[in-house]
Formats: sequence, structure tokens, C-alpha cells
Amino acid sequence: MLKWHFLCMDVGFSMSNSAPGEEPPFELAKKVIQKFVQRQVFAETKDEMALVLFGTDSTKNPLEQDGQYQNITVHRNLMIPDFELLEEIANQIHPESQQADWLDALVVCMDLLKKQTEGKKYDRLVIVLLTDLCTQASPDELDIIIDNLKTAGITLQFFLPFPAGDDEEGGGDGDRGGSGHPGAGKGLSREQEQGLDMVKHVMLSLDEEDGLDEIYSFRNALEQLCMFKRIERRPTAWPCQLTIGSSLSIRIVGYKAVMDERLKKTWITVDAQTNKRDDVKRETVYCLDDDNETEVQKEDIIQGFRYGSDIVPFSKVDQDQMKYKHDGKCFAVLGFTKQSNIHRHQFIGNQVIKVFAPKDDEHAGVALSALIRALDELNMVAIVRYAYDRRCNPQVGAAFPCIKQHYECLMYIQLPFMEDLSHFTFPSLENKKFVPTEAQLSAVDSLIDSMMLVEKDESGEQKDMLKVHHIPNPAFQRHFQCLHHRAVNPGTPLPPMEPWLKAALERPEVISERCQAPLEEVKRKFPLTAVEKKKQLKTSAQIFARVIVFIFFCLVVVTPVSFPVCQQLTHRIEQLLSNKNTHYYMKSITCIQAFREQSADLYNSYLQSLKRSIPNRGLEVFWDLLVQDAVTLISKDEVEGSTVSKNEANQFLITDEKKEEVAAPTTEDTGDVDDLLDMM
Amino acid sequence: MAEWNAYYRNEDDEEEQEEGEQSGEYKVTGRDSLVFLVDASKEMFIKEEDGKPSNFDMTMQVVRSVYTSKITSSYRDLVALVFYGTEQSKNPRNSFKHVYVYHDLDEPGAKRVQEVDELRGSKGAQLAAKTMGSGETSLGDALWCCANLYSDIKLRLSHKRLMIFTCRDDPHEGDSVKDRQGRTKASDLRDTGVIINLMHLMKPGGFDVSLYFRDIITPPEDESDLGLQLEPCAKLEDLQNRVRAKEKKKRVLNRLNLCLGEGINVAVGVYSTAVPARKPPPIKLYRETNEPVRSKTRVFHTQTGSLLLPSELKKAQVYGKKQIVMETDEVDSIKKFEDPGMFLIGFKPMEKLKLHHHVRPAVFLYPEEDDVKGSSCLFSALLKRCSERNMFALCRFTARRNYSPRFVALVPQEEESDEGKGQITPAGFNVIYLPFADDIRTLDAPQLPCASQEQVDKMKQIVTKLRFKYRSDAFENPAIQQHFRNLEALALDMVAPEDIEDLIMPKVDQIDTRLGPLVQEFKDLVYPANYNPETKPAAKRKTADNGGGAEKKPKVELPEDELRAHVQNSTLGKLTVPVLKDACKKFGVRTTGTKKQELIDALIAQLSS
Repeated sequence: MLKWHFLCMDVGFSMSNSAPGEEPPFELAKKVIQKFVQRQVFAETKDEMALVLFGTDSTKNPLEQDGQYQNITVHRNLMIPDFELLEEIANQIHPESQQADWLDALVVCMDLLKKQTEGKKYDRLVIVLLTDLCTQASPDELDIIIDNLKTAGITLQFFLPFPAGDDEEGGGDGDRGGSGHPGAGKGLSREQEQGLDMVKHVMLSLDEEDGLDEIYSFRNALEQLCMFKRIERRPTAWPCQLTIGSSLSIRIVGYKAVMDERLKKTWITVDAQTNKRDDVKRETVYCLDDDNETEVQKEDIIQGFRYGSDIVPFSKVDQDQMKYKHDGKCFAVLGFTKQSNIHRHQFIGNQVIKVFAPKDDEHAGVALSALIRALDELNMVAIVRYAYDRRCNPQVGAAFPCIKQHYECLMYIQLPFMEDLSHFTFPSLENKKFVPTEAQLSAVDSLIDSMMLVEKDESGEQKDMLKVHHIPNPAFQRHFQCLHHRAVNPGTPLPPMEPWLKAALERPEVISERCQAPLEEVKRKFPLTAVEKKKQLKTSAQIFARVIVFIFFCLVVVTPVSFPVCQQLTHRIEQLLSNKNTHYYMKSITCIQAFREQSADLYNSYLQSLKRSIPNRGLEVFWDLLVQDAVTLISKDEVEGSTVSKNEANQFLITDEKKEEVAAPTTEDTGDVDDLLDMM
Repeated sequence: MAEWNAYYRNEDDEEEQEEGEQSGEYKVTGRDSLVFLVDASKEMFIKEEDGKPSNFDMTMQVVRSVYTSKITSSYRDLVALVFYGTEQSKNPRNSFKHVYVYHDLDEPGAKRVQEVDELRGSKGAQLAAKTMGSGETSLGDALWCCANLYSDIKLRLSHKRLMIFTCRDDPHEGDSVKDRQGRTKASDLRDTGVIINLMHLMKPGGFDVSLYFRDIITPPEDESDLGLQLEPCAKLEDLQNRVRAKEKKKRVLNRLNLCLGEGINVAVGVYSTAVPARKPPPIKLYRETNEPVRSKTRVFHTQTGSLLLPSELKKAQVYGKKQIVMETDEVDSIKKFEDPGMFLIGFKPMEKLKLHHHVRPAVFLYPEEDDVKGSSCLFSALLKRCSERNMFALCRFTARRNYSPRFVALVPQEEESDEGKGQITPAGFNVIYLPFADDIRTLDAPQLPCASQEQVDKMKQIVTKLRFKYRSDAFENPAIQQHFRNLEALALDMVAPEDIEDLIMPKVDQIDTRLGPLVQEFKDLVYPANYNPETKPAAKRKTADNGGGAEKKPKVELPEDELRAHVQNSTLGKLTVPVLKDACKKFGVRTTGTKKQELIDALIAQLSS
């Protein structure tokens, strides 16, 4: 859908008039335009936009001649909106002191539109007029204008400082115009009333039924524009044939109807100083898993796959030649089954495809309709083999019948392969320890009652209070909010989340209030106690602190000669260990062995403290390696000054795992400083 | 420390993160291990009269299928195959008589699969008789030997399981010393965290678990039920299912709180039960030695060549021709909404859950009594009432740190069991991910005529002829199967890979025979005589181009001023790739890229300067 907008804003002097304490219409109109352009910029549609101002002190438009079409300025010709336009709107558009006829401005827009859209492709043309209607417009050529608008198929939208609808007219949309505007339609000047009548006349001539729906007030528009546009994608048709056996086929067209949408853009990495992408280069090198990390040239690398413990070299060429191949695009029925055999929680993939007959083939339409209705009446689904094209692997899925008021279709959803399923068994909950009592069940019942999101209203119709599929993805909204903020206010911290977004994710207020008492009851009836966790994950900061403590200790106690070496070694060991990889573990063991040569006291205390930290840091694999290499404490037998006996040194590596686990929390409390100081 | 680390980063880091969100990766804290302890006594080899495989043969088929499934899905797991009641002995220190370690604990590979294959069928029985034979039985020794297998492993094991396959319910035939020894060793093993299961097989006169094995196996998680599947397995399929159900450890994706309101937190575990299996990624090997290579990615400054620390990098995106820059940690903070958890919003009747509201595979929720005591009871009460009242719970769900929230429907699922054969579906909530507004696309449905009742009835006959009972585990993924067959063939030096059966290929001949004349009858009802759905319909009616412009020409030469205008108005994106390529040629712009954006960027660089 290419939609081209011609924004036409009144900047004349009356637009800056306002009652005390109210924002002048000019400011509101400017905000509407800003929000609107922002949305377009972030939606990255190919929609183009032009901006015309009227009531300007100067005149600049193609129609100006003989004093006609004065005080109208074409600010920007039709092009894709960008931040430049936003900056111009922010900095260059000010209230000015002239007045211009809004019908004249409309004519300038229509002229612009005619000239600039010639020969281009678009789906819809929209002229948006933002004005307070304070200037008398001459209705002489009104009918010609309306005719021209009609023939060109132009949609007109009006944004006014006041709502258009009032009860006498009856035509306006009460919801849209009336609410929140005390004194709607009142206090209008004679010009404004006349103008409004003219606007209504134009709009109703263009669209008798819904014409008045395209008249908005600034305030309501701002409310609706507060969220960024939802991601819209042009549906791409997937033409194919549905086949049943070898001789029955029906022409179909598939469209993605529901799809787990992602943001289109990813972050690029730039240099922090220059903000330039080209200043940063990423380079990948390959090396052997040996001590020297011998580098290997890219050309000397081939591809392989794991087959259990074996690694099988398997070149891309061979792989392509031997891989599973199929005939390409297909939608072939394997058979039909009861809908109850398909479990919703086994749906797989991240999309739903709706399948129609081609719009120009009514025979296909009838044939597909017969299938859809047959399935619907029998409560069955088709199990199909679906392949998007030759390059994609085929899937198995279910085609459900879907009959709506205005159309019929099949809905295709992927089903799992045997390899995709894991059958877990869980203990039964019918365990007498867990079976809730009648009183507990009734507490849950009242909770459910108080939290029902679907209720019948006075007219007996079901009302859903929270349709989550109408809420925009908060991740995208927040993403654009922050990007926009950074673009417009560089150098300032990111803003907090928008309040409307926060609220949209919460319980509806009515529910929150209603469920208070039942929740208290549930709390009373169901005792819940959090179980203390034995293991607490250490943050890297804590580990780092441990190293610092150790270095501090070294500074105090150690002989000047060995200190720098030991410090380097422990630092390096900790670095290596933080990688959690066998390769690095081996290296750190080498370091530990080197450390062993340096200082008995330091080494022993380090190793003891390291051992205590093993369970918390998940370094069991490393410890096993250390045990294998029999790297233990330095005993008296080896070095005279050591306080560790030979037996202790031997025991050090074989300590019972269980004991270790129980012991861990206590050492944690006292901390390392004490241990190390004790040694002094 | 962090800085030092950051020089070497895995290039795939970011991609993996994306993947993780999709498939839900597990935190790996160690290896899973599984020991098959198989009775090799004469009784195991007795063939059934009706040509059914012997218990031994059946067991070998199951072992093979576990081996291959481990290779496909979790090759890091360790598996061992040990026989007891053999004549010959073979074990690490040869300290146990009548215990034959066929495979010690290791990752399964092609060779092992082949070796298990050799034990199948009547030839396999002969081979087994020749190499191992049948002899005395001491379960105690066998278990002791297995204990040594575990303790010889230097790797961290996260899950240890031992499965005993036997058809003898009284292995020591009343020898109380051996009985006691067996019980002691079993209890030792259980104390070290090994879970012992019994896969008991058919025995004439029935298998009495209470006679001896009740004291050997690990008591079930659930005390109310004895957990002993008292019926022995007679069919291969049953045995396979029973083994498969036990073989994989339930791995929790994450544990978090389901918050009903302030201070009411039910601890739950999130499990994934259906995740698309993918071909494992290729490994880079050094051509000369076939050894795996590691990749290191360095980020450096193009001009100065110096390495860049993370603190010297920022992230950016371009919108509306403007580059917007953020700190790396700001990018993370944007994603964060709240801590991981599930928050109850309210309840809705089941019919409000639309079939087409599907964006991701579901996950499964089960209470974690170990984290919050009382969770199971409240969870069970919610489940019960939701199920009885046909409701689902609507929740906001943040799966991990720095993940944005999603709305989910908790759909109750009651436990279903097959008599004697174990659980079919466990009790718990299925978590269905719901779409946001962005995920739903607006479609223009074509207006087409509907079928008459006569036409519908004919189709109903066709549908009824092709009915079958769908089972979710009935279809294998042909692409993945082929991949592993290829690898198997290469690993085992086979001439050609084993053929796979493409189970998702329609059986056209069968369908045609079943339908018979129905197809023609249906076609006569819906299609006119000259209609052929295989060909495209006659050329489309030309619709008046509402743009009022010229017709599309196959190739449009773009005048320079128009191109410049496009650059000026940043509307290059509207041009097609061939036109852009032409323009590049014309202006002597050299591009290496073929992507549209790359062409556009190159043109802008050339023409705006």
C-alpha cells in the first residue's frame, strides 16, 4: 500500500490564539505533524510526503499569479520523509502573521499532487489539512474542487482544534469527536462555523457514509499517534496447487497471515570516537587447538560434521550433491484426520498461512470451497506436505477449514516431525500431598471469577476487556522511542518507558481492584514458602574482588622478588579460568604449575582458596583435570617452610565431593580475607 | 578480565542469541550418561514361536535406536553397553567374572552403532554366543563394574542412569548371598546419584518385580504410585517407548515464578516439548589433519590497526538518513522490561483462544516444589479449576533477562495414562504464545463463489475415503534423516548411504486406487469441461493502471537527471535491482554487492559527492 500524503498546515496568526492556560492550535498542529512524520520515518515505508504551509508571510507556490494564491508556501516537495524534515519542522516552522484561504491552500496541494505524481505508482493519495478555519473561505469554486477531488480519487482529512461532531448534526462520530472536549462546537466564531459547514459539505460529498469520520481534533489525533506504527508488510502471494492424489488439483494462493515479526534492522558496530562504521574491521582467524595456537589459512579449512564421537569431513559440494532433494513447491494432501487428533500445543514453526483460491479463478474457488466446507462439516483437517520452494525443506502440517462471514480459506500450520518431540514424563499431581482441599478450590474459584476478562455487558453481548493481539509489540515501541529520543536529543540519557505502554501490559484496572480480596484469600489458604538456595551464583565482580584481595595480600606479605611474578600468574590464571573451556583450563594448569615453582606459601594459599571457589564458579571440570595431573599443595617434604603435611597434600585432591558442598557456604561467610590473614 | 576476554569473541555469538530465543537452549552443566546393563543368559535368546524377535534381539534394536538418536540429538551424552550373566569376562581391570563390557561409557559413534548391529538377528545371537556366551549371574558384580565405569569418567556428569534389561525375575535363583550383594551394590550406586530402572521383558508365567528387583531399582519420584510398570514389555514398540521416556532427562529451560499477585509466587519450571530439530552446524577442519580448528574474531581499527576494546565501540542504526548511535549497554537496556517471570493478568474462556493465534512453538509448565514449598498445591488447584471450567489463564511472560515480554495463554492439560504402559500426557499447563498487533497481517481475501451442497457432499466422500489416525510422531524429517545417513555412510566407509523413506511424500498410487471414480465425479461437478487447473488461466484482463502512467516495460533506461532526483529524494529504493545495476554500470560505480541496499549505497556515494 503506497500512501502519499500532502500535509497542508495553517500557520496564520489566528493559529497562535488560545484561551489562557491552553496550548495554542499552532503548537498542537505542529505536534500532530511531528508525530505523524516520526512514525513514517521509523516505519520506513516508501510512502512519500509533501508539506505546504499557508498563512505564511511570504509566498512560494507554482500557482501564484496576479495576486492570487498569496501567503501559501510549498515547504517541501513530495519525497520520502527523513530526519531533515523533522528538524525543519522543529526549527523552521513558526507561527506567522498572515492569513490565507484554506480552500486556496487545498487547490495548491491538488496542483502539486497532479504535477508530482504523474507517471508514478501509488495506491492512495491523501491531502491532510490542519487549520482552525478562522479565515473566511470563498465557496465559489467549491463544487469544481469537489469534482476534481473525486475524479483524482483523493482522500481528504481534516484536523481541527475542536471536534466536528455535535448532537444536532448527528453525523459525527460521537466517540471520536465528543469526549474530552467540553464546549465542543461552542465558542466558535462565525467564520469557523461557516468553515465547519463547508468542511462537512466537502466531506459528505466525497463520502456520504463515513466522510465525517475523516475529521479529527488535534487532541484525539495526538492520542492516537502516540504509538509508533505497527510493522506492516505487504503480503506476498504464494501460488501453488493443492493436490489430492495424482489427478485432483486445485489452484491456490497462500499468504502469511500470522507471523512472529522481527525488527527489520540490526545494529551495526561503529567506532566510538568517530561514529563511523568503516573505521571498525572484524577479522576472523582460525587456529589449531594446540599450545602455540598455530594459525591456519582460510583456504586450508574444510567442512566437517559430527556423527556422534566421530567428525566426518564432508565438503559443501558433496553435501549439496548428497543432500535430500525434492520436486520443489508443493501443497499435497497426505490424508485427512479428525481435528481432535491435532494438539494445539504441538504446533510448530512461527507462522500461519492462509490459503485461498486465486481471485480470478472461480472454478478453483468452488473446488476449494467444497473442500473447506467438507472438512468443516466433518470436523476434520487435511494433513499436507508443504514445501515453499525447491531450496526449502518440506514440512508436514495441518490445513484447517476456516469459514468467515466474508470469505473462506484453509489455514496451514506446521506440525512436528518425530525428531522435534521430547516425551517427558512428570510425576502425577494427584498426589495426596498436593491435592487441594475444597476450601482451597473455592478460593481459586472466586479468584477466577474476579479476574474474568470476558464478560457480558448490559446488552448481553460478550466483551473482551483485553485483546492482546491489538497491543503493539512493546519491544518495538520501546526500541523506536529510544532511537527517536537519541536522534532528537543527542547526548541525553534514554527516557523512561512511555506510561501508556507500561499500562498496556498491566492488568486492566477494573480487574486489579476486583481481585484484591480473592487474592488475599488465596494467600491465606495456600501457604507458600521459598526454599533457601544452597548455591549462590557468584558474579564476576565478586570473583574479581577475590583476586584483588589476594593481590593486596601479596603486596603486604610477599618478598619483593617473587611478588610481581605471582601477581601476574594469578591474574593470568583467573583470566584463563573465566573462559570455561578445556583448552584454557589446560593453560591455567600450566600457569599453576609455574606458580608452584615460585612461592610455597603463596601457592598453597592460592590453591586452597581456588579449591573453595570451585563449586560456586562451576569449575568442576577444571578441578578434575587438576586432579588428573596431581597438582596438589606443596608439603613440608618438598619445601621446608610449608605448613602443609605430606598427608594433607595428598588428601587435598581426594576430598569427598559431598563434604565439599556442605562446607562451601560456611567458608563463604567468613570470606577470603580472614583465611589469608590467618596465614600471616 | 572482561577486556582481555573481549578480544576473542565467537563470531556467531549474536546469531546464537537469536537462535536461543527460538529454540530455547539449555544451560549445560555436565554430561548425561546412560548404561545399558543387559542380561545375556540363555533365557534372553529364546525365540518366540510366532517368529517374534527374542528378548535379546529386541533389546539390541532398542540400544541401537538410542545410540542413533543420541548421535542425532545429543552426541555429548555418554552411553555404555554391559552384559551380565556371560561366560566370558571383559572389564577394565578384569576383576569381575561373568561381566562383559561391550562398550564403556563414551560418546556414541558410527563404529559403535555397527557393533550393536552385529548383535542383532540370528547372526547376532551366534556372535554373542561365540564372544560372550552365557554363564553364571551375579548382579552385584555387574553393578559394581558399572559403578567403576562411572567413577572412571573424569567428566562432570549431570545425569546418571542405568537400565537393566532382563527376563529373569529371580536372577540368582535363591542364592541369598548373591542377592544381598546385589542389593548392597545397587544401594551404593543409588547413593552416588545413579538412577536404576528396570526394563523387564516377557517371561513365561509372568515377571514378578516384587520377587527381587523392587529392592534394586530407584523408587519412583512419585510415592503414591509404585512406579513399577508391572506389565512386562512384549512388543518392541512398547519397549522403545518405555526406554525413550526414561532415556532423556527432563531438562528445564528455566525456573521462574508465576506471580498471581503481590507475594503470591508459584515456582514453576518451563520445559520445551516440541522444538524443531535442525541439522547440526558444520565444524571447520584443518585440511591436512582433519582436526577441528577454532576461530577467533578480532575487532580492530581500520586506519590504525590497533585492537578495539568493547568500550571503544558503539552501536548504530540508520533511520530517515540519520545515523543514531547508542552505547552497547544502552542497546541491552532497551530490551529489558522486567525480570524473568510470569505474571497473571486474568482468565478467559477457551473459545477465546483462536486457532490462528500461533507465533511460536508452545512450552510446558510444571510446578517446582523444591523452589517454593506449596507451589504444587496451588498450581494443581489452578489447573483443576481451569480445566473443569474450560478456561485459560492469560499471563505476561518474560522468559529471560533482557527479553521483552510476550502475552501467553496457559492452557490446562490433564494427566492421561495408558493402562500399564505409562503416562501419555502429564498434568500441567501448555503455554501458548499469543501474537501482538504487529504479528497479524492484513490480507485482502478474494471474493469467490461458494460450493453447493452437492459439491461439498462429493468432497466429503473423498475426505472420508482418505481418513487416517494422525500421530505426531509418525513422520520423520527426511532432510535430517538423509543428512545423518550420509554422515553414517562416510563414517563407516559404506559404498552408498542407506535409503531413507520419505514419509511425508503422499502415497499417490494408494490415494488414486482408494478414490477410484470419485475424483472424476468431483471434477465434473466443479470444473467446466475445458478447465485445466495445471495451467495458468488465460492472460489476465488488463486493468486500467490507476497510476495513469506508462505500461511496465521490460527494461527501462534511466535518464541521469531522474536518477539524480531519486538520489536527492532518497527514493532509489523504489527502483528494481536490474535498473539499479544498469545505473551502476552507467556511472562506473563498482560494487561487489548484489543486494539492493548495497547497490543503493554505492550509487548514493557516487552521485551525492
